[in-house]
Amino acid sequence: MLKGIHQQLDPQESPAFFIQGPKPFSRLMFFCTLSLVMMAVDARFDYLSQVRQWFSTALHPLEVLASAPNEWGRNINTYFTSHNQLIQDNFKLKQQSLIDNAALQRLATVDAENAHLRTLLAGDAPIIPQATLGEVLHMGRDPFSNIITLNRGSRHHITPGQAVVDEQGVVGQITRVYTFTSEVTLITDKKLSIPIQIERNQLRAIAFGEGKRNTLDIPYLPTSVDIKVGDKLVTSGIDGVYPAGLAVAVVTQIKQSQDSPFAKIISRPIAGVNNHKHVLILKVPESPAINPSSENKPVLPRNNAQHLDQSVVEVLQKNNAAVDPHPATETPVLDSPSTEPGAAAATPGAAPAPENTTAPAAPEHP
Amino acid sequence: MKPVKFSTFLFTMLVGLIFQLYPWSNTGVIIRPDFLLVIMIYWVLQAPYHCNIGWVWFAGLLVDLSTGSLLGQHALTFAITAFLGLIYQRRLVLFNRWQLYLYVIFLFGVQRGLILLLKLFAGGELPDWTYSLPVVSDLILWQFMIIWFGELTRPKKL
Repeated sequence: MLKGIHQQLDPQESPAFFIQGPKPFSRLMFFCTLSLVMMAVDARFDYLSQVRQWFSTALHPLEVLASAPNEWGRNINTYFTSHNQLIQDNFKLKQQSLIDNAALQRLATVDAENAHLRTLLAGDAPIIPQATLGEVLHMGRDPFSNIITLNRGSRHHITPGQAVVDEQGVVGQITRVYTFTSEVTLITDKKLSIPIQIERNQLRAIAFGEGKRNTLDIPYLPTSVDIKVGDKLVTSGIDGVYPAGLAVAVVTQIKQSQDSPFAKIISRPIAGVNNHKHVLILKVPESPAINPSSENKPVLPRNNAQHLDQSVVEVLQKNNAAVDPHPATETPVLDSPSTEPGAAAATPGAAPAPENTTAPAAPEHP
Repeated sequence: MKPVKFSTFLFTMLVGLIFQLYPWSNTGVIIRPDFLLVIMIYWVLQAPYHCNIGWVWFAGLLVDLSTGSLLGQHALTFAITAFLGLIYQRRLVLFNRWQLYLYVIFLFGVQRGLILLLKLFAGGELPDWTYSLPVVSDLILWQFMIIWFGELTRPKKL
């Protein structure tokens, strides 16, 4: 009865003025499905990492363009640094170099001694990494994760999994490598965990990042555990990613509650996780295969000290106390130079002091 | 709403991408607006004949690649936001200035909320209140877009 002219129009025929191709809703459905599939594929499989690589390489010129103003600002700043400032810096650096050199001389002796002792005990040579210097391009663009981007990528033989340190301690781990850049997940990220050791009593544990709070958590340790506020945590080196003895964090807070059998141990990273410009990317060489059964096989006198990168020395020297966990007890073994390296470890009876019987076993189980 | 050239649209998208790639520092990361989102939503509402949901989705994909997050996350939220924007696209001329601001704030809020939801599903943790700050900077950028490329609402005196 009340049929108007608008009802006689076929609903399929919209006026040409409004034609926009497919309807927005069908477009939305299509692209939603597409992105859901992409998310699933990206999360579960490895197919899209190549796509990511291509895009990142294609975006590189734009990235350079975008960071250009920042670069200019820094250059101008450098240009106008006062003469006085430079003289002060130079003086400070010279003094630091003097102190470092003195410490380095001691390190060489201790290193040689350590290598010799380890050979005598048929232990593994300490793994000493090579390093690449990297520069922080930007803090992550994603506020949900603690990631920084470095200006070193697969072009510079960076591979995922390498450890990243600064002059004070561990910063994080390389998690994604592009052609010219790479992403470092910081140790404070929720997804990263790091095997550590309390420097004071060699207690091993695993520290987990706590995300946005920029702290580390050491869970699953009983309330009776021997940890104090101020204890220094260093890497234990048992994972083969981080070399042993790098400073990680300092314990800042220990909470014990009645209803939990575990202590809540919170520590603060030592490295300037959020404020540094230059970092070192460590390349850990393949560790020699540990084979305790072949005791009589002569142990290779592996001493990686020759390949020691100057910059790594600086990192290690601050922590060299932790590199050699049992320095004093083995000295009597040195008195018998005729003893074959393999035999010394195989026959504990050859060792003069009874407390030494425990010492050869120590390096075998990490 | 005066018609724009397709090249203008592409150029603003490129500029947005460059700003997206700018190395933001600590506080910058917190208050940085979602450049590509604001630009794409503006074009979806201003020039739907150039910028459809597919383009917005593509911009979201670029954001995903630049942030290194899960591929498709931002693309999904951008597409949904663009769709919500398109529902009222033809009625925008009836809105006054403040209604339009509210509408745009709603769109930006929806996008941030969706991203938050996706991150929480993936095991992320709840961020603090500063997470919602970029909506304000988004609105400032939106105002700039209106100054440069024209109002979306009908002028008062006709």
